[in-house]
Amino acid sequence: MRGVLQAAAIIASIFLIAYGVLITDDRADPRWLGLLVVIGGLWGIALWPSGAAELVRSARPLVHLALVFAVGFALVTIQVLRAQLLDRDRIFARASDPAVGVVDVRRYVAERQVERGRILLSDGTVIARDDTDRYGIRHRVYEGPIAYLAGYYSPGLYGAAGIERVFDHELSGSSTSGWNSWLDGVLHRARRGNDVVLSVDPQLQELGQTMLGERAGAAVLLDADSGAVLAFVSSPTFDPNQLSVPLGAPAEDVERARAYLAMLERDGRGPLLLRPIQGLYVPGSIFKTVTAAAALQSGLATLTSVYRDDGALVVDSRVIIEQNRPDPTRVSFTLQEAYGYSLNVVFAQVGLELGAQRLEEMARAVGFEESIPFDLRVAPSQIAQTPDFLTSRAGIAETAFGQGQLLVTPLQMALLAAAVVRDGSMPEPYLVREVRSPNGGLIWSRQTKEWRRAFTRETAAALRDLMVWSVEYGYARPARIDGVTVGGKTGTAEVGDRAPHAWFIGFAERAGKRVVVAVVVEHGGSGVQVALPIGRALLEAAVQGS
Amino acid sequence: MTRRGFSLRWLELQLLIIPAAVSLIGLLTISLARLGSTRWSWGDLTVSLVFIVAMFATSFWLTLLKVQGDQILLPIVVMLACLGLLLSQRLGPTLREGGVWASLSQRQLVYLIVGLVLLWLTVGLVRHFVWLKRLKYTWAVLASFLTFFTMAFGTDLGSGARLWLELGPITVQPGEVVKVLLVFFLAGYLDDYRELITSSYRVGPFSLPPLPYLIPLVGMWGIAVLAVVLQNDLGNALLLFGIFLVMLYVASGRLLYVMGGLAAFAAAFVVALRLVPRVAQRVEIWLDPWSDPTGIGMQPVQADLAFAHGHILGTGWGFGFPQAIPVVATDYAFAALGEELGSLGTVAVIGLYLALVMRGLLVASRIRNSYVRLLSVGLVSVFGLQTLIILAGTVRLLPLTGITLPFISAGGSSLITNFLLVGLLIRASEFSRG
Repeated sequence: MRGVLQAAAIIASIFLIAYGVLITDDRADPRWLGLLVVIGGLWGIALWPSGAAELVRSARPLVHLALVFAVGFALVTIQVLRAQLLDRDRIFARASDPAVGVVDVRRYVAERQVERGRILLSDGTVIARDDTDRYGIRHRVYEGPIAYLAGYYSPGLYGAAGIERVFDHELSGSSTSGWNSWLDGVLHRARRGNDVVLSVDPQLQELGQTMLGERAGAAVLLDADSGAVLAFVSSPTFDPNQLSVPLGAPAEDVERARAYLAMLERDGRGPLLLRPIQGLYVPGSIFKTVTAAAALQSGLATLTSVYRDDGALVVDSRVIIEQNRPDPTRVSFTLQEAYGYSLNVVFAQVGLELGAQRLEEMARAVGFEESIPFDLRVAPSQIAQTPDFLTSRAGIAETAFGQGQLLVTPLQMALLAAAVVRDGSMPEPYLVREVRSPNGGLIWSRQTKEWRRAFTRETAAALRDLMVWSVEYGYARPARIDGVTVGGKTGTAEVGDRAPHAWFIGFAERAGKRVVVAVVVEHGGSGVQVALPIGRALLEAAVQGS
Repeated sequence: MTRRGFSLRWLELQLLIIPAAVSLIGLLTISLARLGSTRWSWGDLTVSLVFIVAMFATSFWLTLLKVQGDQILLPIVVMLACLGLLLSQRLGPTLREGGVWASLSQRQLVYLIVGLVLLWLTVGLVRHFVWLKRLKYTWAVLASFLTFFTMAFGTDLGSGARLWLELGPITVQPGEVVKVLLVFFLAGYLDDYRELITSSYRVGPFSLPPLPYLIPLVGMWGIAVLAVVLQNDLGNALLLFGIFLVMLYVASGRLLYVMGGLAAFAAAFVVALRLVPRVAQRVEIWLDPWSDPTGIGMQPVQADLAFAHGHILGTGWGFGFPQAIPVVATDYAFAALGEELGSLGTVAVIGLYLALVMRGLLVASRIRNSYVRLLSVGLVSVFGLQTLIILAGTVRLLPLTGITLPFISAGGSSLITNFLLVGLLIRASEFSRG
């Protein structure tokens, strides 16, 4: 009977503790304290010594006293264990809530003890590193005009963005494991985070940056075989130094950085946007590559299929006017010529013959509507924004030559070109090549891999012919480079009343090295005159330089 | 006591090996953590070596005096003092302090040695407790004098209460001595009037307690409330009152007195909550420190963070950041241990205190002499209640009060007085034989 009562008291107290921890957030919540009183009573029952009644009268108060002390110490133990084990995350969460305004000095100290790793370009150029100012506060310093590639690191203010955020666990050294780092921690030796090495070639990057100049736009250059990003140009951009605020910085520094960020956010040109992956643009004629791929793969057309183009096409009530014919008297063109001369009327017909389903299938096959796997988040390219757009014939026709409701990222289009030169296989693109320890040892290195198969080998070969013909004989002729196989497609994407976006996608192949490029200049005008020279320069420098 | 040759206190000596090892390893960890290297020399261990010598010397001194008393109390107490010494070595270099005659690390070692020497003297001088009992009113007068003298001429060392007396370069806290004097007085008084207090007389149908002899109860209650109001010293008031109730209960065996006393204290507390803003503020900080986490709530919030960072194993000696908690070396010594030793450490420390209290009560229960027995219970209760009150404040079970954690908190008055108590307890335990 006694044993049953004691067991029941212990079990009840355990349930009460569990219940109390669930319903209360804090150890001094009155409800929890009330429960503790009950739990103390239960333990008093559980610990009540057997035979207390038989004790000599004078010994009884001492037994009671011992019981009170035991229960008291047990309650203290519950309180301390709750703080150390159960409420741990709640306490941390409260302390990190900016509205509460507590500085958890321990985090701050840990933060300052680790020297953050550097971010380097492929040849060893440092674009981001830690520096200690005369007050002993660590600052993040960004070097050169292309430092925005690193993103920014600003623990005193906004947190981090870009590579700084995605690779934070490497840069801050928290990923390091093993005997040495354990020993460093135990001995409080100065620690340093790992270096992150990008695949970007500073010369190509600078070339792209210079050629784009002040104009808004993007250029992305990939090594088609590995998927390595060789140049990743975005314009306009920002100065990460002005956003980087260390912990414990003076209030005026914090204020200045806050004002700078507000200015960047207000700027209609979007300087915080990483355009190669986050910029979504109407593709214009470069999308004809996808339409052609669908037509070739479905067997609907070959390179030599002949289409009629007499200057205009009426689809439902929509009139499509042809402006691109090289000779206004010619009315029949092969698919190859239609691609090289970028004939909208022909591609509208191809699209209508294909139908919405096959066109959409090919777009998805090359990666549309999906987030491309990459070191940073990539905005998915879109086929249509309203779901019923492709149910109308006019919608299909417009989409087939690259207008309609299409929106694409430059990286998506560069990957399309990569699939063409790689026999239909798309590589997984990457920006970070490797992670190195502070003393230069290789910790992690990128394994190149295929992302997906976009189309068949035969389709890829035919598309390659189309793109090469376009450069050899078509409008993309200025892209020719002596001694190098170059394929490409220009685009001039209509965007409402403003000047069109100038586009160029292309590839270059020389002595086994294959590179692809996608360039967009926002409201730049003609693709041939504006975007193509940038793309050509990048391709030439990339294949010559090797 | 029979005349025979010296016999070593073997159990005690064996148990003392544990604090010896802990002090060596702990001190080495702390100094290596600070330097960040694995090189060390014997010089780094001076503090521990001095401590170990003093500790074993104490045991040999007891042998030399042919003390037959308990052999478990000293190892427990020395283990706790060892943790306190290590904590002072760890915190000393991180705290900014000025105008004191030595650094915290040095002072704590000196206090520890002085405390042990006082223990030697106590054991040497107090043998029969007869004069201790005879002078009971002297102790009471002395306690009152010290309390009011401190109230009048004391200094405030930043806690908002005048609890210290300045004696040249050092400051002492008479409150620590007052509680011991109170135990001396109560043990003598209650032992003498035990029969009368236990009895009751009848007025008509009612059975009333012997009011004339319960005047001390009311008097004590009055003094405790007075201390709260005048001295802003809630912790010591609670402690004094608790000791009084415990001794009254043990002497009389009547639960009614305890109930009445608790009710009176509760009433006094409610009144103080209304009238004394400082008491109300303490309660507010206890219940919701996060409403002002960088102002008045800073101590409990930072202590919570320290506990949370400690987790199971703790950061290790020297690797945490307990100096983030204001007044960590005294009020929040337990939070510093919680951060660096983890929950294993906190549970072990609570276990040590519980072991001390239980061992003390067990020893007391075997004592035949009723005065010595009452005195021992009182002395053990001083440790037990004081530990419970400050730990409960640190872990937010009760509002925080500024009393020290026995043997661990930095501070000379407390450490030295506590060793005196241990000396008395060891002597008292001799009465338990036969």
